[in-house]
Amino acid sequence: MAKIELTRSSFIKNALKSRYPQLAVFIVMLVGYIFAILAGFIGTPVGSHNFSIVFVWIAWWAILILVAVPFFGRGWCAVCPIPLPGEWLQRGAILTPPDKRPKWLNLRVPKMFRNIWLQNISFLLLALFSSVLLTTPNITGIVLAAMLFAAIGLSAIFERRAFCRYLCPVGGFIGLYSQVAPIELRIKDKQVCVKCKDKPCYRIPAGGNGSSAGYGCPWDVFPGGLTKNTYCGLCLECIRTCPHDNIAVNLRPFSADLAKPSTRMDEAFKAFIMLGSAMIYAGVLLGPWGVFKDAAYNVGASAWFIYTGMFLSIIFGILPGLFTLGLLGTKSNTTLKHRFASLSTALIPLGLMFWVAFSLSFVLINASYILAALSDPLGLGWNLFGTANTAWQPMLTSILAPAQTLALVGGLIWSARTAQKAASEVKVSSIPVIVYCFATTSIMLWLLL
Amino acid sequence: MAFAPLPVPTATPQARTFQIDAGQFAYSPSELQVKPGDTVTLELVSTDVVHGIYIDDYDLSVEADPGQTQTLTFVADKPGSFRFRCNVTCGAMHPFMIGKLNVGSNNWLYRSIGLAALAVLGVTVSIKQKV
Amino acid sequence: MKRSELLSRILVITGIIIAIGAPLYFWTSTPLIRARMPENGGWSPNVVHANVGEPLRLKLTSDDVVHGFAVGLMDMQSVDILPGKVTEVTLTFDKPGIYTYYCTRWCGPNHWRMRGTIEVNGSPSDPEPALSEVERVPLYVSLNLDIDAPHDAPVVPAQKPSAIRGQELIPNSPFLQSSDYYRSNSPYQAFNDLSNISLTEPQRWDVIAYLWQSNITPESLANGKRLYAQNCAACHGENGAGDGVFADDLAKKGESSMQTMEGAMEMMMQAPVDFTDPKRMLGASPALLQGKILRGGMGTGMPMWGSIFTEEQIWDLIAYIYSFQFEYQGAIP
Repeated sequence: MAKIELTRSSFIKNALKSRYPQLAVFIVMLVGYIFAILAGFIGTPVGSHNFSIVFVWIAWWAILILVAVPFFGRGWCAVCPIPLPGEWLQRGAILTPPDKRPKWLNLRVPKMFRNIWLQNISFLLLALFSSVLLTTPNITGIVLAAMLFAAIGLSAIFERRAFCRYLCPVGGFIGLYSQVAPIELRIKDKQVCVKCKDKPCYRIPAGGNGSSAGYGCPWDVFPGGLTKNTYCGLCLECIRTCPHDNIAVNLRPFSADLAKPSTRMDEAFKAFIMLGSAMIYAGVLLGPWGVFKDAAYNVGASAWFIYTGMFLSIIFGILPGLFTLGLLGTKSNTTLKHRFASLSTALIPLGLMFWVAFSLSFVLINASYILAALSDPLGLGWNLFGTANTAWQPMLTSILAPAQTLALVGGLIWSARTAQKAASEVKVSSIPVIVYCFATTSIMLWLLL
Repeated sequence: MAFAPLPVPTATPQARTFQIDAGQFAYSPSELQVKPGDTVTLELVSTDVVHGIYIDDYDLSVEADPGQTQTLTFVADKPGSFRFRCNVTCGAMHPFMIGKLNVGSNNWLYRSIGLAALAVLGVTVSIKQKV
Repeated sequence: MKRSELLSRILVITGIIIAIGAPLYFWTSTPLIRARMPENGGWSPNVVHANVGEPLRLKLTSDDVVHGFAVGLMDMQSVDILPGKVTEVTLTFDKPGIYTYYCTRWCGPNHWRMRGTIEVNGSPSDPEPALSEVERVPLYVSLNLDIDAPHDAPVVPAQKPSAIRGQELIPNSPFLQSSDYYRSNSPYQAFNDLSNISLTEPQRWDVIAYLWQSNITPESLANGKRLYAQNCAACHGENGAGDGVFADDLAKKGESSMQTMEGAMEMMMQAPVDFTDPKRMLGASPALLQGKILRGGMGTGMPMWGSIFTEEQIWDLIAYIYSFQFEYQGAIP
């Protein structure tokens, strides 16, 4: 299956190049985000009836993990409101492209942090407090506000979207999983880029030259060199900036990027973090074992420290350890580290499907809260759309189990094939990885069904 | 494999009664085992605040105040494994207050694992064929 | 600056102002009475002011679990207060005074402590005296009963006395059939007063059971049963045996307080009373039980109900409590 260039359609190309449609979505998202922060602080402390919990952890999460990531890769990043205030202040404008140097310090992010380890840590921090975060509106309000102010602060010190690229806990896994999506942004013709002198698609203009149409990539990615989705935030800036109209958005087969497996350790561990946390959440939150839930919720109690210890040892010890044991049996002329990193890309489609299966459960059970929270977002007794008294009613529970089986077995097949491709690149057998995937999938099936 | 009929052992249906204590945020006992066709009676005893039980797929529910045990009686005609959960907001972790009702054996789980094994076999066979 | 830039800046800033301002405005202009478990603060606010004759509109919400709302000594249906949702109640008061509002759905072991007051000012429409907690001196006070003293019956029946059997053995002493007698005497005392009549001991107990039943109506028994289930069963047990869901917690608290405090051991005992214990119950008169219910347990977990239950409700409850000791005719609906 070949690529289909979507931007060949002038309707699509103009819709993406024009700043107005994106701005309209930005304004809606930003207003909604700020409202969610307020709702978290002054709305009802009851999570299921508070806009911030319902619209962040049920509605937004459902759309993100079930639609946006699998089908649009970093599509959420394209419309996310978190970087906007900082970026607008950095640019000194909302719409108009630069004719002057960007404001503030514009330092380069130090090399030590130019990886996704900070994102791994920030995701883990949220994950360890997730029981409190998912159920307590003012904690969600604090986290949302903290991310917004962190983004603004980082934009004041560093160039481009430093928060998005190096700190955002969500961006870490969206980037990893975007490799499986059927959408990509790539250049059309490499020779055009070779001949292009200024590269305004990337360079932030120093002397005030640079393209008058757009900014250099806020994601610190050189579009001319893009071969994978992982770090391109689909902000569409380069499409506007490129003076040679050499950038396109394409439709392509799922997980095309995994044909060139990454060998970075930070990404490898991200795959284990996501796989492990999906399994732990399925067991702790959706299982019948009250002792784990208490341990996860009572932050600061000794049970919580034990829970944290177990969480971290599963993610950093048991899961990667068993994976490595499987690899030890294989012989190859590449280093163990190289094999570990490239074969762990098999866990990317698997992890995504683990999260899809897990999320389907709590989304279908609790989606009815969305209607109630829409009509009475703050718990003040409003009934804006007449749906404030919608009773809690799980939806479609009869298709839940089949859907989860489909997702998990489908993910297993997908990851097995990914393992094959990655294994043949390093000339080892893919069997240990496939067995590992089968084992973890069986555990996830047992936890969810 | 997902839908192949399995031989089902027949047994005479019994009447089973369970007292379930509900407290923030767990049930005790949290896992119940009955046979298909049994008439099941759940006596819900709330031990701290108002709690409820809602059974997935059966779409049945009951709620109880502390001091007023309420019962729910039904025939377990659907086999499989079903979660039951609290349907009265009872505090922060309410959405995760969950137990499991097992009617017969969890056939869907076994079929799914079998399907996964078949899928893996299929993929590895196709590797060998390509090589 | 280009027009589009200006417009977009205005839109963004307006959007942010509305996103912050609208919630803040509506939040500050919607006074709510927040219900929380007593461990988390109880009612907030817990004092409300009102004027005689003016409708008092209250908006109530719960911040944690299911609560309920009712005003003591007023004839009103209680309303449920659900977490995250707002319930509206309108109250009108005829007489000034201090009214007590309380939670009507069990919300933890300290549920009964969840009370607030409504201070109603103004002059009543007719010159009756202001409402007081109990309209007249309660019976246990006028009888000079020490309701904290032990009241074990020295003699107890071997089997549960039956009013059905008792009905066939009615003695013809008229004084036994006055409600004043019923209220002022314990079953044991009545049993004793019958000692000159030629009946066996079990027969005498049966007569007492019938005597007790003849001083109450089926409606009052049904009402008492309902009040008991909603207010007492959580501690005293659904079958009266002192084994309610909170009984263990209360007993534990009693043990720890006995270790740290000196004082009358009986006062510190916190396990809820077992109403199926004949020794204790048959030695208690309705007046004594009324005293306990009105005044509460002075340091034990027993609430004081004087500002909540009307006199009639308390007699109904007492009627039901004795049904753990006596077999009454007909099932209690």
